[in-house]
Amino acid sequence: MPSGPKAIVSVTGGKGGTGKSFVATNLAVLLSERISNGLVLADLDVEAPNDHILLGVGDPLNVIEIEIFFPKIDYKKCTSCGACVKACDTGAIIMAQGRPPFVFPRLCSGCMACYYVCPEKAIARDGKRVLGYIRTYRVERNGKSFMLVSGTIREGEEHTPPAIVATKRHAMNMSRGLLLVDTGAGTGNGISAAIQYSDLVIAVTEPTPLGLHDLESILKIVSGMGYRSWVVINRHGIGPEEEHVELAKQYGVERIYRIPYSPIVPRAYSRGMPIVEYAPDDPASKALEELARDLAVELEGKLGVAGVVGA
Amino acid sequence: MTTVQGQVELVVASGKGGVGKSTLTSTIALVLAKHGYRMVAADTDAEAPNLHLALGVNTWDTVEDYLEGRIAYIREDKCTQCGVCAEVCVYGAVEVVNGKHRINPYICEGCLTCSLACPEKAIRYRFKIKAGEIRVARRTRYGFPLVSGEITPGRPNSGKLVTEVKNKAKEILGGDGIVLIDAAAGIGCQVISSLTGAKIGVLVAEPTPASLSDLKRIHTLTRHFMIAPMLVINKYDINEEFVSEIEKYARENNIPIIAEVPYDDNVPKALSQLKPLVEAYPNSPASKAMIEAAEYIATEVFPDWKKWWSKYKPKKPAPYIPIIK
Repeated sequence: MPSGPKAIVSVTGGKGGTGKSFVATNLAVLLSERISNGLVLADLDVEAPNDHILLGVGDPLNVIEIEIFFPKIDYKKCTSCGACVKACDTGAIIMAQGRPPFVFPRLCSGCMACYYVCPEKAIARDGKRVLGYIRTYRVERNGKSFMLVSGTIREGEEHTPPAIVATKRHAMNMSRGLLLVDTGAGTGNGISAAIQYSDLVIAVTEPTPLGLHDLESILKIVSGMGYRSWVVINRHGIGPEEEHVELAKQYGVERIYRIPYSPIVPRAYSRGMPIVEYAPDDPASKALEELARDLAVELEGKLGVAGVVGA
Repeated sequence: MTTVQGQVELVVASGKGGVGKSTLTSTIALVLAKHGYRMVAADTDAEAPNLHLALGVNTWDTVEDYLEGRIAYIREDKCTQCGVCAEVCVYGAVEVVNGKHRINPYICEGCLTCSLACPEKAIRYRFKIKAGEIRVARRTRYGFPLVSGEITPGRPNSGKLVTEVKNKAKEILGGDGIVLIDAAAGIGCQVISSLTGAKIGVLVAEPTPASLSDLKRIHTLTRHFMIAPMLVINKYDINEEFVSEIEKYARENNIPIIAEVPYDDNVPKALSQLKPLVEAYPNSPASKAMIEAAEYIATEVFPDWKKWWSKYKPKKPAPYIPIIK
């Protein structure tokens, strides 16, 4: 683990559209007021990143390319032995009868197995392919600011985990205090990579059987990886949530928060304003404030008392 | 039985999650079944499969283990803690716990890189990993079959499982008919597998800038696959002032808008009862609008989908051009 952040809190949830980015962006704004330095928000929903839209930020400070390894074969050295084809886990290298190996760029995950396996050292080490981009924004709020690091894959690319890992490393290197991670939907290893090294995972769900089903999948990962967890039931009030509470208990979730359903949320969304700024007196904003306050208290030990203002 | 020209894949996708794909898919399924189309529904959101819940399916006729990939582990007796594995793993799966290197099984992709790079040959693999399940309901309450895939939490390559789910659906369908596909959120591996081979796309968006941003990304992918798209704007009244932005994008890109669906409390209520919306609340505002969309598909698209496809297909495929340095 690169030394960088003093604490990592991840917001995830399994199902899409439960309000992960909604919770993460509002928490970032609220915590930036309470935490004196070094808050970084990492948007690791590299397939559909939206935090920059929800926060209404302008142009990024910088854009860097996510480069992954790409096998460039030196056909003068290649003996067409087929070792690379065998070692490739994604079927990206093919060899037609009697022809030297050929790489399909889109299928290649950049894992370098072919580079290590080639007995002829016919694959160059420095070949690169651009998988996507990392954009860094400064988010200014009431004289306080925090950094948003947003990863995105190019349309047509399918290997998301390497882009998630690259974006997270970039954010970790930038962070000296709290790193807040916002993950994409899903329950695959890209999500595990996104929440890796978390001091606390916040799982956002909704009171529907769909939310319940996907909450269980995500809690399996979180508890399996040995991380602490809190659950946020978003859109509280639209349906029954007893089973969510029961499930949370079963997986050792420490606390449950409820954010009431609010018709104001999409309007705030559209204006690129977190609801805690657009409608600070809305019950949803109050619930988010409670969560942020408790989180600040929770992080006091990790960040140092001086790091948390007015907790 | 209403006949369809050949076997055709209809995919429901949105980029953004939680915009109503599964509820809309359940509506389309029920309406197509009512019209007598031969059809199999396929839930290809293998990381968060929910279509069975929207269709009220709670028992499966068959559940097959999906065995795929491998997970690396370090043999402690051979490991010298040199750290080469941690340096080479592009997935960041190698962690140091109490001074010892270990591979996190929730992250390991199963590529061979660490074992090939390890100077001590200390890395081994577990094979025949249960990477997921493929579930089949041969006959739902509405007559048509449902195939659903779910990965084991923390496993990679959900796209491969999606391809298996689709193959299963096509096998069950047998001859001519419709494979109705409910795609995952996002635009990655899983979604690409869902779109591959599909001809007709139902895109779903809600009137927010985030949803429009994701709509543009998924639309680029449908163009790549030469899928003819149509659009449903869901929850149009949660933010009416932004609807025109979505409409403008659709107009500029020759995407017909087949329904604008209002926000409706009955949607979560129906979900809670584990019933399709159109069955639980057939006269609710969202039901009516979604039925309108589904009727369009049943009466305007499928009687002659090749004609419809020719009319709305992309002029040329959006190319995928890799950037190699």
